[in-house]
Amino acid sequence: MAEGFIFNHNNCVACGACSAACVLENKWTISPRTVYTYNSPVLPAFPVLNLSLACSHCKTALCLEGCPSSAYYRETVTGAVVIDDTKCIGCRYCQWNCPYDAPKYSPEDRVIGKCNLCYLRVKDGWMPACSTACPTGALAYGSLIRQEASERVAWFPDKGLEPFVELKGSSRSPLRIIPESRFDPEPDLILKKAALIDKEWSLIAFSFLTALSVARLISSLVEGNFPDPLQFLLLIVFAALFSLLHLGKKNRAWRAALNLRSSPLSREIGLFILYSVSAVSILLYQLPVLLIVTSVTGLFLLIAVDAVYIFADNRKAVFLHSGQTFLSALLMVSFFTGIILPFIFIATIRLTASVWRLKSDRTEHLKFVMRFFRCALLIISGISMITKISYPETGVIILFLSGELLDRMLFYIDFKPLNINRLINNQIIEAEK
Amino acid sequence: MEEFITACPRNCYSTCSFRVQVENNTISRIFPYPGNLATPEGPCIKGLSYIERTHSSDRIIHPLRRTSSGRFEKITADDALDIISDKLSRLKDLYGPESILWYRGSGMSGLVNDIGSSFWKSFGGATTTYGNLCWPAGLEAVRLTLGQVKHNVPWDLENAKTIIIWGKNPAETNIQEIAFISCAKEKGCKVIVIDPRRTPTSDKADMLLSPHPGTDGALALAIASVLIRENMVDRKFINDHVKGFDEFSDSLSISPEEGERITGIPAFNIHELAHIIAEGSPVSIIPGYGLQRHYNGGQTIRSILSLSIITGNLGKPGAGFNYANLQSYIFDDLMEPLSYYPDKEKDFPFRRTVSMTNLGRDMSSTSGPPLKGAWIERGNPILQSPDSGMVVKAFADLEFRVVVEQFLTDTAAIGDIILPAKDIFEQSDIIGSYWSPYVCYKPGITEPPGEVMPESEIYYHLAKRLGLSIDTSQLPEPGNGNIEKWLENRIRGYSNLTLSELKKGPVLAPGLQHIAYSDMKFETPSGKIELLSSEAARKWGISPLPEYIADDTEDKHYPLSLITPNAAGRIHSQFGNLNIIRTTLPEPAAELSPFDAKKRRIITGDRIRIRNSEGEIVTRARISGRVPRGIIVLPNGIWLSEGGGGNHLITGRFTDIGFGAAFHDTRVEVEKAE
Repeated sequence: MAEGFIFNHNNCVACGACSAACVLENKWTISPRTVYTYNSPVLPAFPVLNLSLACSHCKTALCLEGCPSSAYYRETVTGAVVIDDTKCIGCRYCQWNCPYDAPKYSPEDRVIGKCNLCYLRVKDGWMPACSTACPTGALAYGSLIRQEASERVAWFPDKGLEPFVELKGSSRSPLRIIPESRFDPEPDLILKKAALIDKEWSLIAFSFLTALSVARLISSLVEGNFPDPLQFLLLIVFAALFSLLHLGKKNRAWRAALNLRSSPLSREIGLFILYSVSAVSILLYQLPVLLIVTSVTGLFLLIAVDAVYIFADNRKAVFLHSGQTFLSALLMVSFFTGIILPFIFIATIRLTASVWRLKSDRTEHLKFVMRFFRCALLIISGISMITKISYPETGVIILFLSGELLDRMLFYIDFKPLNINRLINNQIIEAEK
Repeated sequence: MEEFITACPRNCYSTCSFRVQVENNTISRIFPYPGNLATPEGPCIKGLSYIERTHSSDRIIHPLRRTSSGRFEKITADDALDIISDKLSRLKDLYGPESILWYRGSGMSGLVNDIGSSFWKSFGGATTTYGNLCWPAGLEAVRLTLGQVKHNVPWDLENAKTIIIWGKNPAETNIQEIAFISCAKEKGCKVIVIDPRRTPTSDKADMLLSPHPGTDGALALAIASVLIRENMVDRKFINDHVKGFDEFSDSLSISPEEGERITGIPAFNIHELAHIIAEGSPVSIIPGYGLQRHYNGGQTIRSILSLSIITGNLGKPGAGFNYANLQSYIFDDLMEPLSYYPDKEKDFPFRRTVSMTNLGRDMSSTSGPPLKGAWIERGNPILQSPDSGMVVKAFADLEFRVVVEQFLTDTAAIGDIILPAKDIFEQSDIIGSYWSPYVCYKPGITEPPGEVMPESEIYYHLAKRLGLSIDTSQLPEPGNGNIEKWLENRIRGYSNLTLSELKKGPVLAPGLQHIAYSDMKFETPSGKIELLSSEAARKWGISPLPEYIADDTEDKHYPLSLITPNAAGRIHSQFGNLNIIRTTLPEPAAELSPFDAKKRRIITGDRIRIRNSEGEIVTRARISGRVPRGIIVLPNGIWLSEGGGGNHLITGRFTDIGFGAAFHDTRVEVEKAE
């Protein structure tokens, strides 16, 4: 029978003892165990729920699968999913992939820290520090029973990853308050949307520059010439530099291509390296066959870039996003080469996707404005291209590329990897409606 | 690696037992000790934090002297003791021993603290304090009514059918009680919280009633009137055990409608609560201490207690009035609250002219002789005493101040000499609890760092220097072995209680009643439960019956009530300075309701000025849906450097009985600080 954490939310008052015990035992600089209080602004239609969560050491461990540097491994005796922080490159991809927020990034150490199940203690027959420390008996560690669907805590999202965790506690109705009129909820706190583009500038730059370089290359191929060597090289070098900026441990960047077998991020980095080498060889040898090989590699690279996000977003909500690099590059190619039909075709797909998202943007002002301009820029540059007015002047190209950049930024804003906190907060917002 | 069983000696309900691992004189791990049935799952985050606290680099481990520039410099223990003994003997010669104030807080409990008393007696006496800042009004209320202050063992809560948590927030102040409440709830118990705030405890309840602060007594009496009018009382229990029921019944003048007007709780719900109590036997009422930190606090507790009495909810499993359980306080000649104001003759050579409540004012006005020096241990009066402005001034006016402390607290900062204080692992001791029924032994297991000396050793060395005659049975020689011998002597004569027995683990207090008052013996003058207490009237000049007296501190210039409860991360001013607490729990802040904040255009994170006629402080605001309209919450014990100091706004005012402090009768206004 499998062992794991057993949590009874009836007994949890968010005292923080588990989180502190974790830090004191493992000497972390951040605590991999967090106690979440859902509905902390005490909105009336939903109970206040506490959840102490670290890592559930899921049978399907997306953190491990997705880790580009193979820093994660499964400890064989306890089954713990463990990260070796001497191998972590601080790319934080595991944070996107884990729906339970288990990997925590330490700004001080610039690597991920994650619950290791205190596996050394557990091997010695002890319990993990957090479950030992819980003063109310809310958190325990032991053999898990197979819970029937009806026994499961309704608000805990089940994502089919088979987490080794058992959540218990009676279903709770909202607190009856007398007199209700003395209290005012603070709905702003919970309805406040996540910050727009949080620390992802380097990724926006990397993916945009990569798409642009591939588009430049294919345009050359279509037009039967070679790309301007300096411009082309700069695009790739800057893309590489920007991607480095994203890493917590830049000196370990070489590890990023160590997990080609299961990590989409590793494949992206692997293809980027291949693409770069291939691109340099074009500049050195000016052989048309290299142009073809590099273009094909580039297209695969863009598919790999998009796959990184599709893997992390397991609701597949970004699958049809207009800001995907592959589509963006194809549109750029048709724009740069002036081939109208494919341009109209791709632009229509992307405009439709954008306008469809525009509907749901009305509550978020900045996003609405960005998407509106994105559509407008695409239409303007499209008209300019078709009518040949000002096309292909630099100004129009800049307008066109600004639209593409905006779309890429919107992609990051819209990209919300599945996350338990967001899911539970959505339930609260639903209940309040 | 060695392992010991120890217990936490802080001023806290739980008095947790826990196991501790020691490696190379370092505390490496802290574990639960399941043998203590009150705290089987182990200590709270503060208890865990001893791993950091004991070895903290912020700890003061050498004596410090304040230089003329106001900074502190390290001096040797010998030099520090020389300076202190010179000063003490000079002040004693010039003004007499009573010119020294011996101030003790509640920072660390234990029998060893008695040694200080022996020192000051042989010094010739000192001025000490009377009253207590925390809980005496309620203690006295329970003592007057039931004769003793005790309640059922904590785990008996599981037998309750109804639990009313009245003004207590165990989720943050007595976390192990949550496990018993939760267990009762699983068995179908109804849990009701009465508290102005939506506390984390109320998140576990079925129902929260939020009365205006200070009106709990009126709510209780309104419920009592429904119970009696609808004949939902336990006649047999009343006839057999209660004195003054008829007088009480006749005195009830607060109808549910009147109750609604006073408390803000609708009359309908007052009826409902009366029915819940009458139909939900056995009922355990768990009152806290905050609601008696009002000037009507004693009468409030008597009023709430009347509900347990008239419904016969005492002396039975699952039923009780869990104010405090002093059954493990077996070593005291004079039990709280009586020890807070002992008989003058018997208290000689101590002079008690200074109240805890009016510390600053009383210190300044004491004469014949006036106060010239102060010795402060286990306490932080600069932060924790009401009317802080006066307190600061009174200490500043003295010639000499010694503070025994572990950290550079706001009080340590006024010391002329700071002596480093021991931590809990550095000396053996025996402690009781006011909630748990155990007597616990706390072993000395690590060598104190630097030049840290336990108070007992400081006193020994000082007595030597001062040439006092030393009776080592009273003032033992240095060394933990001598303290163990002293403890052995101290507890001699208590049946079944020996040091060797205590070393195996906590021991249930001798003579413990698991179900308090199950023998229906009440040590009151009449031998009955005294709803009518002539002692109350004689001693404190209040009505002999429970009575509600309305608050008279309303002031339209200061529309908000300030309450200063305890927060999860600290016990008064202790623990909040530790990293593990700071990084795990929310930052301290003044909490305001969304309604009051909006009116004043304050948002979370703003610097705000809280002010009234007493003074003003500037701190950070946090908007919270847990705070009702009309209230601002600033936890006590936040260091001045962190934006604390609510006591600057609180006037020194006695509670109606017991010489407590009415902290929570404070009105303030708040505005954004520019």
